Amino acid sequence: MNRLPRQLTPLLVIFVVAIGSLFVARHLLVPRTFGEYGHYRAAAVGEIAGQEFTYAGSLACADCHSDVYDLKQNSFHAGVACEVCHGPAKRHVDAPDEFVPEKPKGRGFCPLCHGYNPSRPSGFPQILPDVHNAGKACMTCHEPHNPTLPHPPEECSACHREIASKKMVSRHTNVACTVCHTVPPEHYQNPRLALAKKPLSKAVCGQCHASDASSSREIPRVDMTAHGGRYQCWDCHYPHYPEAIQ
Amino acid sequence: MLFASIAAVQNLPEATGYMYPNEFELHWGLLIVVYPYLTGLVAGAFILASLERVFNVKALQPVYRLSLLTALSFMLAAPLPLLAHLGHPERALEMFLTPHTQSAMAMFGFVYAWYLAVVLLLEIWFDYRKAIVMWSRESKGVRKFIYKVLSLGATDTTDAAVNFDDKIGRVITIIGIPSAFLLHGYVGFIFGSVKANPWWSSVLMPIVFLFSAIVSGIALVLLVYMVTTMLRWKQISMTCLNKLGELLLYALIVDFALELLDFIHRLYESEESINILREMISGRLFISLIVTQILLGTAIPMLSLAWARFGRLPDEMRKILFLIAAFLVQVGIFSTRWNVVIGGQLFSKSLRGLTVYKLELMGLEGLFMAMALLALPFVILFVLTKLLPPWAPSEASVSTET
Repeated sequence: MNRLPRQLTPLLVIFVVAIGSLFVARHLLVPRTFGEYGHYRAAAVGEIAGQEFTYAGSLACADCHSDVYDLKQNSFHAGVACEVCHGPAKRHVDAPDEFVPEKPKGRGFCPLCHGYNPSRPSGFPQILPDVHNAGKACMTCHEPHNPTLPHPPEECSACHREIASKKMVSRHTNVACTVCHTVPPEHYQNPRLALAKKPLSKAVCGQCHASDASSSREIPRVDMTAHGGRYQCWDCHYPHYPEAIQ
Repeated sequence: MLFASIAAVQNLPEATGYMYPNEFELHWGLLIVVYPYLTGLVAGAFILASLERVFNVKALQPVYRLSLLTALSFMLAAPLPLLAHLGHPERALEMFLTPHTQSAMAMFGFVYAWYLAVVLLLEIWFDYRKAIVMWSRESKGVRKFIYKVLSLGATDTTDAAVNFDDKIGRVITIIGIPSAFLLHGYVGFIFGSVKANPWWSSVLMPIVFLFSAIVSGIALVLLVYMVTTMLRWKQISMTCLNKLGELLLYALIVDFALELLDFIHRLYESEESINILREMISGRLFISLIVTQILLGTAIPMLSLAWARFGRLPDEMRKILFLIAAFLVQVGIFSTRWNVVIGGQLFSKSLRGLTVYKLELMGLEGLFMAMALLALPFVILFVLTKLLPPWAPSEASVSTET
């Protein structure tokens, strides 16, 4: 049998050293309890279980703050636990006078859930923090423990943000959505089951734009019978666009 | 205030239809596009080298060593986009220490190590061993030391030893071919096995990845060969260039046919995802898929290559056509990777909505980082060619008149 070629010797040494180093590294670096139960460090389970509790749970808050708790439980925020906004409160439960949970103030916190995000479900109240009452703290207008639906027009823009944003820069910015659209009360709860109605005739526009309307004199007037013939107003003037006047 | 409102409205994230909340942001960005692009180039360049070594395509002899060094350079840079994307590069080593046999990605660590250490480095070492020993005798100073280290003390340059190097090199190449297939097939396998994503979930994915890898590898070696030869004022071997162009054309045809087959199959199957995919292709992916990948990256190079290879043209014209075709193929294959990685995340699993990918310039996942990672293999290649010149000694210099 031929002798092993000499150039293989250093290669074999390198490979043996490399593979040996891997096993040494494994021995030194892999935690002792790794793989005991599965593909993870078994001791981690005990370490996690042994961690100190920091959250107390909403029921603990209800013991002393039953008025706030009850208010919240009957509001849209019923599913939001107290500590979501106020932070871990175990220390407060243990020593109420020594540690007071924080109250989120300002405008930074609420938009985490209510800032505009196209992927949020339809009907979920959303705002554009930059333009929604800029500078004011959320709690100036909204009671976080009972966030009832805001008054119009914000209530529409919560879901119809794109249209509201267009209308915001149009001539109709100060016209409430409900002037033209009839909105059944169920629409706020089940928007798809009870749809808001769109205007069906020119008379809706005529409320302000007809020659004999009692609206401000600055508003453009037309003869509703002669102008546009059989076409509806919005066939030519889309009322949400800034250029609706064209 | 009004301008602020308009600006705020214009800055809204662009999404259409209904999307699930977690799909609003793309998690795999540009670096995950760069990663399969780089591994594809490694596999392609190696397969090209094997054509000369195993299948005896002698016309490719001038680019044999260059292909190997190119493969090595890109191989060394290939995992960096992944490491940069994931953060915590030190954790990558844990998959070697605690290997998980049921994770394709973890197992790839071993494929990578095998390919780098056993295939590429060994083949290059055996191929260069005699030259390294000679250089270690002729050089001085630091270079002499480097060559001495590289020779690993195996200074035997007798005919028997060199013959053994040649034989074992051939055996490694034969082992290397399936390894190269595995290396890039795996990347396609990862995408193809994501059954929740109809844009990826296809058994053809590994094969399509493999052939696009071969295409990009051949085109890269062609580009590197032409540019480096011109920069060194040497004569480009037209036999070699023609063969490279011919192989690139054939690989491109097979690759295009496979992608077409995949596309037709999707259309024929017409699963519930077909509507959103149609919307995506005709909208968000129109430029990168139809224009860049198919038109610029496939159709035009195919015509240029066919014309350059089989038309009656002067050599200079051929060179220009080959150069343009190889460059466009790179653009096309990069678009292919983009369309797979980014395209697969643009539509929602609700099959109703589409989102956009906004590329950032700075940052760990930005454009500059990607450009640096794409440039790095060329820097490594430059150093490697200085250390281990791959050029054939018989090359003719370009006469000063030309």
